[in-house]
Amino acid sequence: MRLKARHENQAVIPTASMADIAFLLIVFFMVTITFEKDKTQVALPKTELRFEVPKIAAYISVTEAGQIRVTDGEAMSTPVQRIDDVDAFAANLVANFPKRPVVLKADSNVPYRHIDRIIDSLKQAKVEQIYLLSEQKPLEEGAA
Amino acid sequence: MKFQRNRPSDEIPTSSMADIAFLLIVYFMVTTTFAATRGLDFSLPKDDDQPPVVEKEDSVLIEILPNGQLMIDQKPMEAGDIIEYLKPKLDRNAKKPVIIKPQPESPYGHMVEVFDVLRQAKLIDGQLTTLAELGPDFPEEDWDAGKDINISIPTQREIESFWF
Repeated sequence: MRLKARHENQAVIPTASMADIAFLLIVFFMVTITFEKDKTQVALPKTELRFEVPKIAAYISVTEAGQIRVTDGEAMSTPVQRIDDVDAFAANLVANFPKRPVVLKADSNVPYRHIDRIIDSLKQAKVEQIYLLSEQKPLEEGAA
Repeated sequence: MKFQRNRPSDEIPTSSMADIAFLLIVYFMVTTTFAATRGLDFSLPKDDDQPPVVEKEDSVLIEILPNGQLMIDQKPMEAGDIIEYLKPKLDRNAKKPVIIKPQPESPYGHMVEVFDVLRQAKLIDGQLTTLAELGPDFPEEDWDAGKDINISIPTQREIESFWF
């Protein structure tokens, strides 16, 4: 009598659904990603109190060297050559998007005169709300 | 004689699909820079031509020197002592303006630090109270209902045109 050849189960890890899972993750990342309009790297000041900044906002970034970049929140930020150009930017911004807040992303070590000049421009253009971007300040040691 | 025909498999090869997908995920994760999306809000004066009348003598003046030293009403002080100094003054007159005046060469970070300290205190039932004093159990609505300190950060141009 001939015995039937034994049908051995092959040891295979089912990988068919792996791609589905991976693509799901990709879609999640793509949906949740918000494209930064300004990619300037600055050392932000640290504060204990922080509030969420609106997603749609104009940005003004100031590096430690005083280099200013601006964006109205629609396109990528562009460098500003002279500080007077911030006046024109602020006026345009308010004309096009009257209620849009302005986020100030300035380096912690920038001399205050630059910030003062920018806030002055924004005040004159009648911008209503500005946000001072900051990082979380660690809780004071020994406070607990 | 029996021929064994090598039949091509009729399956779509999907084993490499996961590799490709994970490669894409890794790419996205590496290139994502986490945006700093939080900060302090700061309302500018509403649209009126009249600047807020701030009597210089009637207010508390916080000057920030270029080395970060604070001068409050001409007296040197630490950031941690601001609220203690303000409390008796604001308890008496809740509307008393507190003016932050950094010198042109002072680092911006120091101004934000002072602003942060002032924002963490509110007048609740006429008493200047800080978040730290209240503790985590204090209801948020009651905190929101409190009255903010009247903080003013005049620009150099405003100082020149309205004060002198």
